[in-house]
Amino acid sequence: MRRQLAVRLSLVVVAFVVVQETLVLEARVGGVHPDVIVLLPIAAAIVGGPARGAIVGFVAGLVADLFLPTPFGLSALVGSLVGYGVGLVTAAMDRTAWWLPPMAAVAGSVGYELLYAGLGALLGQPQMLHVNIVGIVVLVASVNALVSVVAVRMTNWALPAASTEGMPTSAGVSLR
Amino acid sequence: MARPRRSRRPRTILLILVLVSVTIVTLDARGSLRSVTSGLRTVAADSMSPVRSLVNAVTRPVGSFLAGSVHYGAVSQQNQKLQAEVGRLRQQVLQQNDAEQRLRQLTALENLPFAGNLQEVACQVIAYNTSDFAATVTIDKGRADGVTIGMPVVGSGGLVGMVVLASHHTATVRLVTDGQSVVGAAYGTAGTPAIVAGQGWGKPLSGQLVPADTRLPRGTLFSTSGLQGAAFPPGIPVARVIRASTGTVASQEIVTLAPVVDLAHLRYVAVLLWGPAS
Repeated sequence: MRRQLAVRLSLVVVAFVVVQETLVLEARVGGVHPDVIVLLPIAAAIVGGPARGAIVGFVAGLVADLFLPTPFGLSALVGSLVGYGVGLVTAAMDRTAWWLPPMAAVAGSVGYELLYAGLGALLGQPQMLHVNIVGIVVLVASVNALVSVVAVRMTNWALPAASTEGMPTSAGVSLR
Repeated sequence: MARPRRSRRPRTILLILVLVSVTIVTLDARGSLRSVTSGLRTVAADSMSPVRSLVNAVTRPVGSFLAGSVHYGAVSQQNQKLQAEVGRLRQQVLQQNDAEQRLRQLTALENLPFAGNLQEVACQVIAYNTSDFAATVTIDKGRADGVTIGMPVVGSGGLVGMVVLASHHTATVRLVTDGQSVVGAAYGTAGTPAIVAGQGWGKPLSGQLVPADTRLPRGTLFSTSGLQGAAFPPGIPVARVIRASTGTVASQEIVTLAPVVDLAHLRYVAVLLWGPAS
């Protein structure tokens, strides 16, 4: 079971990284491009809770860091925090509600980009604060809100449905 | 009534992940992990390179066609056949303009006055800004072509930046506009030393260490100084003065510069096979 989970999760992470490094990098608006890898910890947190959100954020962040010129490990750090945070905030919410993925994507993306810039500056990269942060936050959050449902479905496939056991749903019964 | 206890497991997991992440960032910044991360980044870049080429080969013509069609907004829907024809012709014109622009950049690279006798490797820019937080481009040449970290990269008009990551077949170039970019420069007939620092993608450069009340007319050229131990060979044009002013309490002139190379439309660049030791 764990092996299957690892394989599926790896496939989803690789798919997101390939899309990010090819199609998404080309879609620049005013020198800024979207960042769909941010969606992975958010989707994992919605599907599996704070622990899985943090773990997926860490793994996806480490893979993303391989392609970024920014400090290695920074995406992993921010991904873990955002995954945990989204999982914690959405813990008491109806996880089958249609509005949850886009709402969580917007809030999580805003938090991710601000944390990324802030922690980057704190860890010795002050120039990371001198970017078009408003443009980055608006573009990343908007695109991620649109793609969030796909991300949640893919993450739902990768992570076993049993992980949502005991969580509230719109029908008032636990997911199994 | 006893309150249900929240599991500590997620918090413990988060704590471990945060500690591991911070350790990785710290060790990488100190250089202790640099060989490992550099190796992993090389493998990742080499694996992604053919995938990127394949996806670009499929999507770029489609994108160009769609762009051409979108620009021809006045054509009504009932004239679909005509629209397709105009779109095709428009695409041809765009491709021709594109080819002419590529040819201009390549021809300019053939005759770089500031390159002197230095060997150079002509490269194509294959990706812009892999991160929104850094001004970089990815080029299609790497260690297999002699490109290594620290080499200067030039365009048709002057300095573009420096190689900061090099895999076997690709390399990442930090542009002079990046917030981490600092170039030792010289200006004026006397070659007065100064520093040209980047302030982020799309933003002008900042001239530093220029004494207050220095007369710097608009258009004054800043070139690489090439002083001992400098990261760039001497005489490569970097930027021109847009404006200069003295603050009320500043001991330095506040100098704003524009890069001499059009960094927003880079297609071809050349890596100078040069290191500080040479």
